[in-house]
This record gives sequence, structure tokens and C-alpha cells, in this order.
Amino acid sequence: MKNRENYRKERIDRCIKARSDDIYALSSYKEMWYLIFPRVVPIIGIAILAYFLPLYWKKVVITTCIFAMLAVSWDFLSSCGLLSLGQALFFGIGSYTAGCLNHYFHFPIYLTIPIATICGGFISTILLLPVIRLRGIYFAMVTLILPLMLARGIEATHVFGGNEGITGLSPFPNVWVELTFIIAGMWAALFALRRFISSDYGLIFVSIRDNDRATMASGINIYAFKAQALFIGSSICAFCGAFMTHLYMFTGIPVFTMEFSILPIAASAIGGIGTLAGPLLGAFILVPLSEILREFGSLRVVFYGLVLVVCVVALPEGIFHYLSRKYNEMERWVRLE
Amino acid sequence: MLKVDKLMVFYENALAINELSIHINEGEIVGIIGSNSAGKTTLMNTISGLLLDTKLKEQRKGGERITIFGSVSFIGNDITNTWADERVKMGIVLSRERHPVFVESDVKENLKIASYLSPKNKFKEMLSFVYDLFPALVPLRKRKAGFLSGGEQQMLAIGMSLMVKPKLLLLDEPLLGLAPTIQVKLIESIVKIRKETNVTILICEQFARPVLPIIDRGYVLENGMLALEGTGNELFNNPEIKAAYFGV
Repeated sequence: MKNRENYRKERIDRCIKARSDDIYALSSYKEMWYLIFPRVVPIIGIAILAYFLPLYWKKVVITTCIFAMLAVSWDFLSSCGLLSLGQALFFGIGSYTAGCLNHYFHFPIYLTIPIATICGGFISTILLLPVIRLRGIYFAMVTLILPLMLARGIEATHVFGGNEGITGLSPFPNVWVELTFIIAGMWAALFALRRFISSDYGLIFVSIRDNDRATMASGINIYAFKAQALFIGSSICAFCGAFMTHLYMFTGIPVFTMEFSILPIAASAIGGIGTLAGPLLGAFILVPLSEILREFGSLRVVFYGLVLVVCVVALPEGIFHYLSRKYNEMERWVRLE
Repeated sequence: MLKVDKLMVFYENALAINELSIHINEGEIVGIIGSNSAGKTTLMNTISGLLLDTKLKEQRKGGERITIFGSVSFIGNDITNTWADERVKMGIVLSRERHPVFVESDVKENLKIASYLSPKNKFKEMLSFVYDLFPALVPLRKRKAGFLSGGEQQMLAIGMSLMVKPKLLLLDEPLLGLAPTIQVKLIESIVKIRKETNVTILICEQFARPVLPIIDRGYVLENGMLALEGTGNELFNNPEIKAAYFGV
């Protein structure tokens, strides 16, 4: 290495990045490929993986997709300034809605999932409407408590099957349908939310997170927008809940467990908060990792925690931020004049 | 006393300070005059060492890369890579811009926190010195600092930086956001600080008119580069300064 006394490391966008932002993207295959590559490779990669793996790992991919969607929805809520610890609440409400519709009213599967998605989002929003004025940790606390309350409430009052839950719900025709359905849902959620948050409408949500008072001072009713964000975010979780219900043909108190709240946050933390794609990446690292570590028995949690700590310490910005920087920017040494 | 030699600071690819060399002699009041984005605050952060901390934090989270060239030396010691807390022990104390105070503590507690480095038996003495300097703070002793007005907070912030008996006091935009009458009062107290403690003072300001009469020497920064230097009077009578900073 030569003498770096008078040199400085410069960081600039790659030429191709600058060109791809412009009209060139439509006129040249190279630029087009540059834009499409990072989007197409994961889509095809996951599809190939999912369809050719043995059955056990197919199930793992399905679970991973569910957690990835929960993580994406957590990240969406957090970019709207709603720090939620209650993905389990949304998930559980979606699950119970689908389960009840199927068990008590004998709705077919292609009706229960859409209805549970909309109704689940609606019920969650109504439940949290009184606390939507709270910020940060206070909102988080309420969302943390509600699923616990609901779980204990169902246990005590024996509604909806009580402790045993509702079993014998209608299943999906086969594993291929399950896989295709959840993978398609996951990509749809991710790309729709990404497009949504970068639109003018989505800009309002981001501004609420950045400075809610300034947003209010601009004449925007932030509580209406927060409620909308809550509806969108919780609908996605409710969809996952409804899907899982039919996947296991069961709904019960376990749908309110903390794992559904905490794992999405861990996935977002290692993937990169605020990118939407980062949490998805994080979920695709954490969930399969936890399956692989099953061989270690009780030591599983230790290794799992170790990986988490190493990720957070080594890449506090998140893996996705790091990758996108490497992809879009280059560094070079320049001499000072 | 303080010597800044060929300092260059880059925020990523933006050049904030360009080959700046200044020096401060013992006992002087030196002013740094510049409009917004001239690099005043960056210079203050570099001299006080806070920039090193910002640099490390940005580096850890992969954000902006801050590059520093050149050297800073204080009483013959090279302090370019010395951390901010070490520099305070050496006697360089910064009163930061926008008067940051501990909003949840009252005025006396704020001063107590600030006097962490000075010996316990000196606390009373320094406290009465600060109260003498800013009599307006006396009736507010038990008030939470967050409830003080901007001018009072600024007095408190300067008072806090005096608690450790600095050798070199850095004032970053002490007049920012204050009414002209308060500005005059504050300027008077700055002169008084010098007279009573013989501390060397470096003031960064964009309001040149109240500051220029009290400084011994001044530097004018423009876009991170040194545009002019001279004694306070020279600068005050300079037609370009008059046009640019007095609006004459």
C-alpha cells in the first residue's frame, strides 16, 4: 500500500447508478439489468429454493415467509412512527377471525382469508384507536399488553374453544398451493409497501415519524394517517394469521405468543430498519438459522443469540443498508490538491 | 496558546474547512466571523474534539465519512487525536451552539454537573462567581433548566463552561436567537469574564456588529476558507465587512 498521507477516501455513486436513475434505464439493457438484478434474483432464488427443497424445508420456507411479512409490516409501522410490540395481536386477531368464520359459518378458504385480512386490520385499528395519540414506548407498551390480555381472556371465558382452540379447519389443497400463495403474498406486500411509502401519500407517514409536530403544523391530521397506517400494517399481519390458521388447521391461544412480536423486530434490527426489504432479508436469515441450530438442542438459543449480537455489533446499520451501499456506491483514494 | 495548522475537514465529499490556519495568544479574545455554512461550528467541534466522536459514530453506523487533515496544538502539545474529555482536562472548554442544558435538572444542579472536574471545595467559589457574572440566574436557582428562556439558558450554558476554570473558552454562537438588548448584556459579561479570570476566549459569531468591538483579533471565514484577518478595529472599519455583515 502506498503512502496515504495526502490521500482521502472518496465515496461516490457508481456511474451506472447515476445513469439508471435517468432515462437511460429504459434505453439500455445494461442499465435495465442493473435495476432489475437485485429484485429478480431473490424472487427467482426463493422460488427455486422453495419448490425443490424436501418437504420439511418447504414448511420452513413457509414459516420464514410468514415471519418475513410480519417483519415487513413491523418496519412499515415503525417508519410511520408507530413503534409496535404487538405483531402477535394483529396476527392473532386475523387467525381467530379466519378460524371462527370457517368453523362457525363454514365459509370456504378463499373467502375466510380475504375477509380475515380486512376485518383483522379493522378490528386491530379499532382496538388501538384510543391509544393512537400515544407515542414511542407508551404505544409499544399497550400493543404488548393487548395480546396477553386477549389470550388470558379467551382462556378464562372459554369463548372460541377456550384453551383447546378451534381444530379441524379446512386445509389448503396441497403444499404447492401453500407455498405459491404465501410467497406471492410476501412479494406483493413488500413491493406494494415500498412503492406506497415512496409515493406522495407515503411521504406523510415518513414525516410523521420524523417530526409529528411539524406535520401537524402543516395542517395534516396525523391521527387519521396513523390510523390508516395501522390498518395497512395490521392487515398484513392478519393475512399471515389467517394463512397460518388454515395451514395448521388450528387456531388457539398460541397465536398470541410473544415470538410473533419479537422475531420481526430482531429481523428488522439485523436486516436494516426503514428499508422494508431489510427486515425480509433478516427474517430469511434468522428463521432458517433457528431451524439449522435445532441440532444443538438447548444450546440453540445461545448460538442464536450470539449470531444476533455479532450482527448488531458488526453491522449496526443493518445488512441491507450495507449491501445496497456496496451495490450503488464505490470508493476510491483521491489525492488532495 | 492554540495553533490550528492547515486544517481540512471533509464531510463525505463536501469540504467544510479548507486549509485553515489560525492561532490564539494567551489572554486574547479572538473572534471568528462568518455567515451560515462558513464552517464555524465545524471549527469549534474540531478544536474541542467533539468531531472525533462524531467521526467514530458515523464510521460505526456506516454513515458519512469524516476526514480530518492538518493539526491542532494547545500549549505546545499536539492534540489532533485527543478525545474531547481529555481536552477539557487540559483546559479547552466549549459552550456549544443553541445553548444545550440539562433540561430536567435545575440551574444549580446543572452547574454542579458541569463542575465535575473541578475540586469539590472550589464549587462554592465558582458558583458565586457565576452568579456574580449573571445575576439574572440567582432568582432562578431552583427552576428547571428546560423552563428558562433562551437568554437565560445561554447564560447558564456559558456559566456551566466556566465551572471548570478553563484556560481556553470556546463560545459557539453565543448570541444566536437572543434579542439585541440581551446580546449587549451577554457581550458585557464576556468582557467581564476575561477581566476577572484572564481566560482566553474564542468566539464564533455571525452577528459581527456586537462582537467586533470587544475582540482583540478576528478572522473572517467564507465557505471554510480564511477570507480576512485583522484586529477588531481593522475589521470593524473594513468596508467589505460593513457591507456583508452590518448591512450598510
